Amino acid sequence: MAEQDPRLESIARELSQFPAAVLQQYESAHGKARTLLSAEDLVTWAEQGAAISRQSVRAWEAATDYYAASMDVLPFLSFANFIPWSNYGADLCQASPTIAAAYFRASSHTLPHLRPRQVAGWSELGKSLSKGTWKSTALACKFFEVSPQMVPTMTFPEMERFIRFIDILSQRSYDLATECLDLSQQVFAQLGDSRDNFISLVTTLADANGNWREVKDCFAVGSRAVARVERTQRGRFLSLAERLSRSGQGGVISFLRDGSQGLGQLDYATHPVIISLGERLITIAPPAVPPFFAVVPSVLGRVSTPQLETWFGEGARLLGENLESGLAFFRMESAYSEELLDKLSAGVELSRVRDVVGLYSRALAGNDMEIAPSQELVDKGIGWVSGNHATIEGTTLYLPALIDGAPSKAENFAKLKVIATHQVVHQEFGSFGFEYEKPSTLFRDLRELVQHARHHIRDKSHDEAEAEPETVEEAVDSGPVSAETGWVTDMQGFFDVFPERKMALDIFTVVEDSRLDARVLREYRGIRPAYRRLQAESLEERPPIIEMPAQQGLVEFLIRVSLGQRTKLPVASYLREDAMLMAKLTLRVMRVGATVEDAAEAALRVYLFIAGIPNHFIPGNQWVMVDVPEDDDYEDPENIEDLLSRLDKPEPEEQEQEEGEGQGQQPYQSPQDVEYRGEFKPELVQLLEEMKEAQRQANEGEAPQLTREMLEELLAQSAELEQGGDYDLDTSATAKNLMREVGMKLPPKEAAQGQGPFIHIEDEGGPLEAKEPHTSVYDEWDFRAGDYRPRWCVVREKTMSEGDVGFWQTILQANSNMIQEIRRQFEQVRPETFRKIRRLQDGEEFDLDALVEAIVDQRLGISLPDRVYWRRNKTDRDVAVLFLLDMSASTGEAIDESRGGPDEWDAPGNPVDYMLWLRNRRAGDGPPRRTYKRIIDLEKESAILLIQALETLGDKYGIYGFSGYGRENVEYYTIKDLNEGLTEKVHKRIDKITPLHATRMGPAIRHSVKKLDDIDAKTKVLFLISDGRPQDRGYSREGVEKEYAVHDTRKALMEGKQKGIIPFCLTVDKAGHDYLKTMMGDMGYEVLSDISMLPQRLPELYKRLTV
Amino acid sequence: MEQPRPRGTGFQTLQIEEYVVEDEPFYMPLGNEIALFEAAYLQKIPVLLKGPTGCGKTRFVEHMAHRLSQPSSVRQSNGSEVRPVPLVTVACHEDLTASDLVGRYLIDAEGTRWIDGPLTRAVKVGAICYLDEIVETRKDTTVLIHPLTDHRRILPVEKQGLLMEANEGFLLVISYNPGYQSALKDLKHSTRQRFVSIEFDYPPMEIEAKILEHEAGVDAETAMSLAKLGEKVRNLKDHGLQEGSSTRLLIYAGKLISQGVPAREACQVSIVWALSDDIQVQRSMEEVISSIFE
Repeated sequence: MAEQDPRLESIARELSQFPAAVLQQYESAHGKARTLLSAEDLVTWAEQGAAISRQSVRAWEAATDYYAASMDVLPFLSFANFIPWSNYGADLCQASPTIAAAYFRASSHTLPHLRPRQVAGWSELGKSLSKGTWKSTALACKFFEVSPQMVPTMTFPEMERFIRFIDILSQRSYDLATECLDLSQQVFAQLGDSRDNFISLVTTLADANGNWREVKDCFAVGSRAVARVERTQRGRFLSLAERLSRSGQGGVISFLRDGSQGLGQLDYATHPVIISLGERLITIAPPAVPPFFAVVPSVLGRVSTPQLETWFGEGARLLGENLESGLAFFRMESAYSEELLDKLSAGVELSRVRDVVGLYSRALAGNDMEIAPSQELVDKGIGWVSGNHATIEGTTLYLPALIDGAPSKAENFAKLKVIATHQVVHQEFGSFGFEYEKPSTLFRDLRELVQHARHHIRDKSHDEAEAEPETVEEAVDSGPVSAETGWVTDMQGFFDVFPERKMALDIFTVVEDSRLDARVLREYRGIRPAYRRLQAESLEERPPIIEMPAQQGLVEFLIRVSLGQRTKLPVASYLREDAMLMAKLTLRVMRVGATVEDAAEAALRVYLFIAGIPNHFIPGNQWVMVDVPEDDDYEDPENIEDLLSRLDKPEPEEQEQEEGEGQGQQPYQSPQDVEYRGEFKPELVQLLEEMKEAQRQANEGEAPQLTREMLEELLAQSAELEQGGDYDLDTSATAKNLMREVGMKLPPKEAAQGQGPFIHIEDEGGPLEAKEPHTSVYDEWDFRAGDYRPRWCVVREKTMSEGDVGFWQTILQANSNMIQEIRRQFEQVRPETFRKIRRLQDGEEFDLDALVEAIVDQRLGISLPDRVYWRRNKTDRDVAVLFLLDMSASTGEAIDESRGGPDEWDAPGNPVDYMLWLRNRRAGDGPPRRTYKRIIDLEKESAILLIQALETLGDKYGIYGFSGYGRENVEYYTIKDLNEGLTEKVHKRIDKITPLHATRMGPAIRHSVKKLDDIDAKTKVLFLISDGRPQDRGYSREGVEKEYAVHDTRKALMEGKQKGIIPFCLTVDKAGHDYLKTMMGDMGYEVLSDISMLPQRLPELYKRLTV
Repeated sequence: MEQPRPRGTGFQTLQIEEYVVEDEPFYMPLGNEIALFEAAYLQKIPVLLKGPTGCGKTRFVEHMAHRLSQPSSVRQSNGSEVRPVPLVTVACHEDLTASDLVGRYLIDAEGTRWIDGPLTRAVKVGAICYLDEIVETRKDTTVLIHPLTDHRRILPVEKQGLLMEANEGFLLVISYNPGYQSALKDLKHSTRQRFVSIEFDYPPMEIEAKILEHEAGVDAETAMSLAKLGEKVRNLKDHGLQEGSSTRLLIYAGKLISQGVPAREACQVSIVWALSDDIQVQRSMEEVISSIFE
């Protein structure tokens, strides 16, 4: 032990008065300090600690940390800098020992990142946060605690700004400020150069006008958001967010998240452009910025950047004129916006040409053709996997959602047309009509020989070979599987012939496609140029043959021949003969009159040739170029029957792979698809047909014949079910989906459908599509924007289920007097239809009075008489009327009870609330027998009475009901179709009219207008019977503005009026006058003061309207 | 009675019952309709021709009128004298009254004068009376033909108080286009059941192509393309089109083409615009046309 300085001893003594930790720490630090400091400095060092500890009651804690930290600090801090450092600590200790302690603790890891002169600033920052309260102290401590990690991530001035921000924020909430400090280290580490902007942004948020609660989210989202933006643009992006916040606009966080996501989907090169546009936009209308960023990726998916700017300019102009319409424009909720984009873009969107392509395909195929995007078929999970390829299944043609490869719209459309044509001719030229037993027309049928050969082999090896797949034979006994042949579909039977199914499918596809294309080119001369162009393009995209192993190369060779290449086809010299034979086979099926069976025979032969060739890679020097002459003088080689033995090789894969490896034998792989030809899955298509047929029989009471197990077996064998791809398809799931697809029985939960529970789709988001049958999509009018929201509502048309016919009879009996009266009234209308018109030049008979006068005149020699006939002129009563009944929940109100105002039963916007609300509302009419009458009962009664009148008149009429929930579920019930006669079914349906959900009138009216428009009549009337204002979830702006619904309804009625339809609205809502005036304008309406008058009043009104 | 004007003046006026089909109208049979018609004629059974517009019903009647006028016709074997059979055609419309068919009084210097309607004239001379689109007429008019169509073969002329017995060669033929009229205008069963019906439809593609080749004077390939177009457009019936393209329209298109009008344009004016006003449907048809024709 060295000699102790007495001063040090007294310090030690002094320290010993405090809890033991202080002295301990002093002593352990002293040991180290002694080696680093001169004797004098050592005393100063010790004295500093003692001075701190003397400051206040708990200052010893700070002193402890002082000594502990000094050990770490001294090695890199000169003593000249050490003193100020400790002084700052002492200073802090005066404010709070805890803070000082935190300061000292943080120092060892923080100081290395600070310049000596910044240490003062650093301690000052901590001090500035301390306001003498407990919470502020904690915050200041937190600051020092996180400093070691935080300081390296930012510059000192940035930190100063940041702490200023924390200070401001702490005035709002200390908890929040603390959390932000916690998050800061990791956020700033990721922010990089855009820290400054970020600090500005959060400061703005924390400022007086900002939404300080968003600050935390900003920290949570900020760094991730920024990471999606191109590095140099991050600052601009953040300052855009800041300006957004400054403008008083909420939603900065969602802007950060969604906006950056939008940018993230784009090429970095476009980021500066988009952000510049954003900066322009914020000067015009800040609220438009977030929607703009959200839609930008989809817009740029359709148009180029300069075109985007044109589109943007138009939106900006609109914003200047009318904020709402500009906003709708940028949200893509405006028809104008969509149209403009469509005009600008060269791409052809399927949804826009769907009707035309649908009718075109229908014309070609000769049966119903639905058009749907390919992705939809993929989503069904029934064996198709490519969302970009066209394909055809039954009566649905699946096409890519967007074609945009070519520079002009016309060319893209031409491409789509070629793609569609190629698919449709599968139907027209009978690809799926393949029958195994049907002879071909151009070849000797080898198929039969093959089957015999296979059976022969199979019988022989039956005992020994368990390995032989027996699945096909096992299935024999059970139904649609032909007992003779052992397969479900003919196509399956054909592919069963081949050991290597995948190769067989590839070959058959090429050969059949050649047949179809040749026939299209022959029979559709007009489409030839586009077709050939696409073939030529496809040829250019083909991968080089010489890089492929022999078998694959030969298939590729055929693909090229089928695409029209005739010269310079690379072939291995030793395969030249085979290749020429195959080319000739392909050319033969391109002949006039070739059938799908011919294609099958040709494919069989090609397979025989290829199967005999080892699948080696071919050395470069063996390749030669051949030309294929345009003739098809193919003749079967003499040994063709011997070649058939190539089909008998059992389980070739395993053997070949194992033995072959040494010789460079490759497993067979399919060549790349020809894009325009899409996916060809004849086996699946035939299977689906078969299943539909089976299901039809099952529905007719016959036992179902295809079991799920059989399906799974079948699918497991099929080469058309590719493993992998976008979706992992296992055969079991596919089988299940297939069964669901054709409506076969599944556990009830999975098969839920029909009038029951409705599917809720999230309300947010853009246009909808009518995917299912009997659905239609309509625009909706946004009166603020002054434009339509495109494809906004889906109307689902359903036929009302049938109830009891008793209701009809009861009403008839109860009202027999009134019915007689109504009939009498309307019969009076009828005679007017034949009116005797006198004094005509031409007619049925002489009009006696006129004739007498004429003869008198003639005798007097006055004039030559002519107008002396009369005739019955038919003043044609040609009226079609559509009654639209409101079936909303409110029609379940008892009419005797005093009704509250209509607003009382506002449908809540939130789905959960809505369901509760609905249940409560419906709870009232739970018991099946009601003693009171509801509005709907009167509606039903009126309908029955009116039918009497209409039948008397012979007018064409339809009765429909509507209700629904949300824009994707507008339910439209047919009670009596316009073209339907009055049958007992109609009587029964009327019984089933019940109050359902909400009232979205617009789409229901539009659908009615469409129905009336399709009808041929001189006078058309749309008669709306309702009990209140239109309302529905989301049928308003921001959920509050009820006028939206009223205006949309009005617009829908106006559309009808423009089509020559007379709208009339009869309501029983006493409060109806206020909104009906807006809704109906100069169109007819009536508010019924006494609802019980409805049955009488309705026929009266009708008479007034149409007679 | 006016004399037919000499040829070369551009037109010729004939009394309605004097119209005899002199030159053989081209008609390509699709089945045994010719034999059926001949049998019906010999047995005096009225004939109802059913089929869509422009599929050749009228042409068929003309053809038969000509055929039955030939000395070598089937009537010969029946032993009766072969006289030309006039053809009286009445295009029915909804204001066609009984007077329009039977006759009416006219007024002239002397007072009133009766004038026979076309039906009466046909009954008198023994012509084939062809009421085209019979359902268009009012129901009270339709009833008028009933006594003519059963064994009585008489035509009551109320206003004159006469009963007219039909001449030996008289035959009533009506045509009817099912599905095209509204349900209100359906043919009454009491009327329907007085006729034997021969159903017509558009000919199959190969035959239609031959017809087009002959009628429009186009080459075989164009004729085939037109026939194909016809078939495709007919697939759109009830899906945007109320009626498919008739053979008549195809012939028009063919005629325009043989006059040098570009094929696509010819089809546009004679088929697309003739069949629909709906833009979507028009576009779809245009696409079909542009696929088939260069």
